[in-house]
Amino acid sequence: MSTLRLRGEPQERVDLLSITPLALKALTEAEAGKLAIGTSRRGLTLGDVFEISLDGSDSLVIEGGSSRLDRVGAALSEGSIRVEGDVGQRLGEGMAGGTLTVTGSAGPYAATGATGGTITIEGDAGDHAGGAVYAAKAGLDGATLVIKGRAGDHLGDRMRKGLILAESAGAFAASRMIAGTIVVSGALGDHPGYGMRRGTLIAGSHGALLPTFVETGTPDLVFTRLLAQTLKRLGASQVSLFGGTLRRYSGDLATLGKGELFVPA
Amino acid sequence: MTAWVKGGAADVDAAVDAAADLLAAARVPVLAGLSAEVSALRAAYRLAETLGASLDPVSGPSLYAELGALSAGGAMSTTRAETIGRADLVLVVGNRPWDGSLIAEIAAVSPSRGRAAGAERALLSLGGPQNGAIRHVAYAPEAGGLAVSLGHLRAFAKGHLAGEEAYADLARRLFAAQYGVIVYDAEEVGELGVEMLQGLIRDLNESTRFFALTLADPFQGRATVQLSAWTTGQAPRVGFGRHQPEHDPWRFDSARQIAAGEADAALWLASLPAPRPAWLGSLPTIAIVGEGSPEAAGETAEIVITVGVPGESIGGALWNERRGVIAYAEPKGQPAAAEKLNAADVLARIRDRLIEKGVSC
Repeated sequence: MSTLRLRGEPQERVDLLSITPLALKALTEAEAGKLAIGTSRRGLTLGDVFEISLDGSDSLVIEGGSSRLDRVGAALSEGSIRVEGDVGQRLGEGMAGGTLTVTGSAGPYAATGATGGTITIEGDAGDHAGGAVYAAKAGLDGATLVIKGRAGDHLGDRMRKGLILAESAGAFAASRMIAGTIVVSGALGDHPGYGMRRGTLIAGSHGALLPTFVETGTPDLVFTRLLAQTLKRLGASQVSLFGGTLRRYSGDLATLGKGELFVPA
Repeated sequence: MTAWVKGGAADVDAAVDAAADLLAAARVPVLAGLSAEVSALRAAYRLAETLGASLDPVSGPSLYAELGALSAGGAMSTTRAETIGRADLVLVVGNRPWDGSLIAEIAAVSPSRGRAAGAERALLSLGGPQNGAIRHVAYAPEAGGLAVSLGHLRAFAKGHLAGEEAYADLARRLFAAQYGVIVYDAEEVGELGVEMLQGLIRDLNESTRFFALTLADPFQGRATVQLSAWTTGQAPRVGFGRHQPEHDPWRFDSARQIAAGEADAALWLASLPAPRPAWLGSLPTIAIVGEGSPEAAGETAEIVITVGVPGESIGGALWNERRGVIAYAEPKGQPAAAEKLNAADVLARIRDRLIEKGVSC
């Protein structure tokens, strides 16, 4: 297990896009220490910000976190990264595979464009978790995002594929969602599913509902039973939502209208 | 020309030297405001490149409400003159379009060109201020705001909702237009709402002609977008910390950078009036402001340099909302003295001093 121990709060935002177990495998500690991670003209390197200990394994632990650590695990395709603390924006951006775990909270745009692997945030996630960044076609795009705390606004904005689990979420969850599944055990904020085209949003409760979502009864669907089994296998607390009947709303009728919102009846 | 360093009157050379020292010592400097003529904006982008700074115009929230939707789904837009000349139906969304003279001008005449020439012009409003002076048909907004209202309207326009509700009537009127225009302010409608509105316009264009007329922000944001695009290939919020222009609307939001303690020096450029930022005084700042403005005072910032105001005391290329282009604005009144200082010169002199000091990104 390789480790990077944070020396202290970084003086500027740092970009850890290229810091993955695979990338570090071929490097000595001295070489790794010279990798540029700073975002100012001062040219901060990995060695300036972290004490480095490498053993060539495919698991990396970052000891100590900061909201200034951007794009942690963004290039991850195999192996695992565990951050003991907080991270900044774009956690696991475009990640293709592997396991990424953050014991603290994450900044905005966690898991944006991630196509594979599992991203777990044990604390809270900022706005746009699983959401698209500026000019991107899609947010979460096939990976699994587990948020054990609260997610901010715009959870899964323009999400295209994959699964998001969260304890609660802010306003405009599943906005402009293209497809995929979001399950929130607690409450959603106002106006979930704004501009939602397809996809499934399941939640314990919700704030103000859009006038463009219409109730379509309490169907007993095979899909929800299969989803419950998947969640059970993952050991997710959200499975408790599936104990009784679910009321289904269809929307957003302002767009394609093939999305659905389920809440316990 | 007037300048102050730490509250005391100084000559411009001394202020430029002090500004270069302040910026040279910074790790993460930001250039904010950018409410200025095009030559000054260009000088600001050059300074940022030399310094490794990021830039953020005061019009950022308004610009990105529009650009976010534009970058994702495109836009169908028209101009003020085309609207006045051709539109037989104009839908005004929200309150802000009613502030200027635009709506009165639209209401004053009927379409004179194109397929709707000679027709009556219908003026409709959605969520407007119920302005009694101009005859129009008003539709109330949803409790959830303009974005929710636009979504509801679009559901009727698509035929996904039906009934005798007001929005069903509004949707029918939109489809009956020969040349329709929706006027809105992007910041008021919000990014989600703008995307919904542009989607509605696309739907309407299946069977008729429909366009958007977006109000420009009053702080030269449109000019900044164009200048940033031709200079960096990106929208305005770019940073040069890593030797090349990186675009990141979240990371380079100057108010966020300053609130988070990331930025350690700021340059506030406002040769034209702009709202005073709440963060002035919270970090070492250089203010380059128009002469005669409320900010033209020693206590505004560590270093204050006053410059000519484009279109007032000096000439300059500015965004012309009426024409929808960047155009030269003559100085008003007597021709200005030749030695009148402008913001572009001040920024170029600061940059020259930084290069002399060996500061280069």
